[in-house]
Amino acid sequence: MLSLGDTIAAAATGGGPAGLAVVRVSGPGALGVADAVFRGATALSAAPTHTLHHGWAVAPPTRAGPALARLEPSAGATLDEVVVAVFRAPRSYTREDVVEFSCHGGEWSARRLLASLLASGARLAGPGEFTLRAFLNGRLDLAQAEAVADVIHAATSRAHELALSQLKGELSARLEAIGERLADAVAEVEARVDFAEDVGGIEVPAHVVAAIEAVDRELAELLAASSFARAVREGLRVPLVGRPNVGKSSLFNALVGEDRAIVAAVPGTTRDRVSETIDLEGIRVTLSDTAGLRATPEPVEALGIARTERAIEEGAAVLWVVDGSAPLCDEDHSVAARLKGRRITIALNKRDRPGVVRVEEAQALAGGHAPVVAVSATRGEGVDELRATLACELGLESGERSLAVAVSTPRHIEALERAKEALGRGITAARAAAPGEIVALELGEALRAIGEVTGRAASEDLLERIFSRFCIGK
Amino acid sequence: MRRPDANGFDVLVVGAGHAGCEAAVAAATLGLDTALLTMRLEDTAKMSCNPAIGGIAKGHMVREIDALGGVMGRVTDRAGIQFKMLNRGRGPAVWSPRAQCDKALYSEEMARLLAGTPGLTRIAGVVNRVRLANGGVEAVELDDGRALRCRAAVVTPGTFLNGRIHVGEQKLEGGRLGERAARALSECLADLGLERGRLKTGTPPRLHRDSIDWETLEPQPGDEPPRPFSHWTERLDVDQVLCHLTRTNERTHEVIRRNLHRSPLYAGEIQGRGPRYCPSIEDKVVKFPERSAHHVFLEPEGRSVVETYVNGVSSSLPAEVQLEFVRTMRGLEQAEMLRPGYAVEYDFVLPHQLTPTLEVKRVGGLFLAGQICGTSGYEEAAAQGWVAGVNAALKVLGRPALVLGRDRAYVGVLVDDLVTREHREPYRMFTSAAEHRLLLRADNADERLAGIGHAIGLISRDQLEQVRSKYAAIDAEERRLSRVTVTCPWSTPPAALDREPVECASSARGARPVDPVYPDQARDVMDSDRGSRTSLRGLDFLARPGGSYALLRATGQGSALPDAWAECLEVRARYRGYIERQRRVAEQMVALEGWELPEALWVSTLSNLSSEAREKLLRVRPATAGQASRIAGVSPADIAVLLVHARRISSSSPR
Repeated sequence: MLSLGDTIAAAATGGGPAGLAVVRVSGPGALGVADAVFRGATALSAAPTHTLHHGWAVAPPTRAGPALARLEPSAGATLDEVVVAVFRAPRSYTREDVVEFSCHGGEWSARRLLASLLASGARLAGPGEFTLRAFLNGRLDLAQAEAVADVIHAATSRAHELALSQLKGELSARLEAIGERLADAVAEVEARVDFAEDVGGIEVPAHVVAAIEAVDRELAELLAASSFARAVREGLRVPLVGRPNVGKSSLFNALVGEDRAIVAAVPGTTRDRVSETIDLEGIRVTLSDTAGLRATPEPVEALGIARTERAIEEGAAVLWVVDGSAPLCDEDHSVAARLKGRRITIALNKRDRPGVVRVEEAQALAGGHAPVVAVSATRGEGVDELRATLACELGLESGERSLAVAVSTPRHIEALERAKEALGRGITAARAAAPGEIVALELGEALRAIGEVTGRAASEDLLERIFSRFCIGK
Repeated sequence: MRRPDANGFDVLVVGAGHAGCEAAVAAATLGLDTALLTMRLEDTAKMSCNPAIGGIAKGHMVREIDALGGVMGRVTDRAGIQFKMLNRGRGPAVWSPRAQCDKALYSEEMARLLAGTPGLTRIAGVVNRVRLANGGVEAVELDDGRALRCRAAVVTPGTFLNGRIHVGEQKLEGGRLGERAARALSECLADLGLERGRLKTGTPPRLHRDSIDWETLEPQPGDEPPRPFSHWTERLDVDQVLCHLTRTNERTHEVIRRNLHRSPLYAGEIQGRGPRYCPSIEDKVVKFPERSAHHVFLEPEGRSVVETYVNGVSSSLPAEVQLEFVRTMRGLEQAEMLRPGYAVEYDFVLPHQLTPTLEVKRVGGLFLAGQICGTSGYEEAAAQGWVAGVNAALKVLGRPALVLGRDRAYVGVLVDDLVTREHREPYRMFTSAAEHRLLLRADNADERLAGIGHAIGLISRDQLEQVRSKYAAIDAEERRLSRVTVTCPWSTPPAALDREPVECASSARGARPVDPVYPDQARDVMDSDRGSRTSLRGLDFLARPGGSYALLRATGQGSALPDAWAECLEVRARYRGYIERQRRVAEQMVALEGWELPEALWVSTLSNLSSEAREKLLRVRPATAGQASRIAGVSPADIAVLLVHARRISSSSPR
């Protein structure tokens, strides 16, 4: 449940050995609570905003409950040397009074400091509660607030870039602009319904239909870019497939850069999927080594093959490993059949041996369009080229796409898809000279859906769902 | 029924205009000793401006108060001389009935209805003050020294509240041309601590019937047969009159532009704000310079009077300029002006100071309705009069108040908009103001509201039964048509879905240029037509372009449903799906509507709200989270914060 008006505190940095750790306090009592544990030249409550203060954190006089007793030294005991930053409302992260203690990293400083703050009257913040307050106090809109979690969780540079752009409000600004234009179109339609005597004419004039179509196209663009943006945010899966004993595991190890998969000359060695994530052009790509595809009487291997098939279904593309040193066999052809319709990159392996399969042959096997890269997994030859080709095949070439405004979270994509569907119905209705109020109904639905992204139409339930994604301290 | 104290009343209504009459009849019908006070007894329910009741969205409200037991619809049926359903070219949700009325007859019929209402006393007098005792209304004091005690008062002074009339450079005090103003009352409201504002409205010139060259004008007939306004009028026997259409032209506009400096509107004399969508001709010419013509409807003010209302050219220019521009129009070259148009500005009370029952928040028992709340229009006034009268009565009776939801009635939308939103110009109802527009139709007002009217005590059991059996019959026929397959009486396929938009032949009233297409339904029909099938589900047939219940009946596949009922069925068939969707949205909103915000909230600290939101919320003090969410400048995040505060208050208060 949301709770406001009290003072919250939490460690803003993770545990473990580190130079510094930060403990953050926010709320109307933040300065008072902080003063209770701070000994320095000036009292924090007297400090101007945006100032730093050196001093010592000490255990407060009040006693905490039994759970904290273990952590709590006697009153007045020194906890750590600290630097404290004071941000007064509204010029702070949450728009409330905020105090940030920088203490030493490691197991104990931050924990004891936090325990002392809690003992002095602060409440332990829930996940995302600082950001929730920033949202509720109007500093961030919903899409921006969600981006905070994405900035923290970003695993690659591009995911980080994407989250930052959302945090800066670029997506919100774009959607607000779209919403404005749509609202203008609604007003035009409504005017014709309500002022039939004054305005008259056709139900939805061509220029309004054109305006709605322009909005529709813009949403389409956003959504088209969303699969890429989503890949940036969530990463992609690419299974390595092929008949047994073509060197999938060796290639997997070569691509990942360490020995993760068991390699043996015995066909069918890999029974289960082994996965590892690599950074390809700033995007997390999860490669999985899979059981070789063949008809097998062995139940464990059969299970592995079933999983491989699922991996093929779920993958953004497949990396098909073909043994270039042995003639193509029936098993290769049946693999080709299973890969029909998938996006394929072919690694023609074992180029360190005399070649038997030509590049064109391999290509023809996959339907004629798949890129083919000759590699030697054991020697590591051609692996860089393979990475580049795979990136290209996945549409990840760097620099080509802007992430400035991209829809990447499933919640946003779903809402905008709903908006687009409603717009589509509105356009159909307008073209069919349907009554204005029907067109207005559809446009209104689209507007509401767009509003859900920026939080113009947010419900409390939605807020709680979003902010529970956060780690404590943000 | 009368109590021994002849000077005291349960409910005292000030002003016998469209708001006052509804309020007085409602209170008296609920068994309360009611007085209706007016400056002159002969001025009852006067139509000060146009000679018509209804129109887009306004007609909806008349149907609604009629279903709730109000009187405007019934009186209109008796005084109407031309009946027309507007907006026929659009979907049925926005079809609105409108009736030209004989102004004198309307006044007469209303007076007759008042006279026939037991418990209603009419008094002539001018109110100076509202007297309070214990923070509530105790009496009203008249300018002749009389004091009338009352337990609740409904104040409906219209444009008379500190009214000032402008005709060109001339300024006159008064609420209507030739009548006086109520100045003391406005001062009294200010003394009560109410914040006032100033608004402006205008009326066009009246022309002599016999000076108009009717032959050259486009006639605008009424519907045949005319459809009654009231649910309780069985049939109309009316010999309908014609209206006529002419247009302004470049010469008209030139005359106006040349004389703009003489219009008090543009010379800065008028401080009040005028209704944007009922603009003066000066406004139209200035604000729509690209338009070379505006519609002007010539409407008779009565069957036997010579006054002709010139709808579309309300003006406050000097009389001689008005005559000059009138005469530039076709058919009006020799027109004689009986009365110039004029503008009137008047005081109003900023309506956020009222509760959703239209009671003044700081003065218990004092209710306001009509133009004093910042609205424009007879119908808006009547709707508020009904709400205020009923709630004044319910309060005196110690019964719970009545607030109609936005998903229930335009009347509810009106009141909610008034007490919630900021108003800079007279409020006029539009269909676009209702987010649940497809549910709030003129055809189903009785289905939506007769039950409420009965629960209050303004609709009889017989009337309610009548409504129930009507909808039972419609429901039954709907079920039948959802099962049975009918044979299409023609074999041509329905209009292609992607046909080009068609220009309406004329935007004049009631034009029905094309049969509207309802994409959801039309698609079904298109599908079922593949393989050139000519039989389809009954409801699908009604929804397809050109389909109608009359056609079903003509081919022996319908039953003897009265026309109005059959139309209701057609509406359901065409809006099927859309209505369901809108209902779901309405249900989602009800959750917020049901979340009451305790009064204690407004004296608490309300931390975490933006200063804009805090200021607006403290000003309006919304009764529910739903109302709060409609205040401009209050974001969903602010609502979430409010809910948190509200929850804390309600959990800490003893139950």
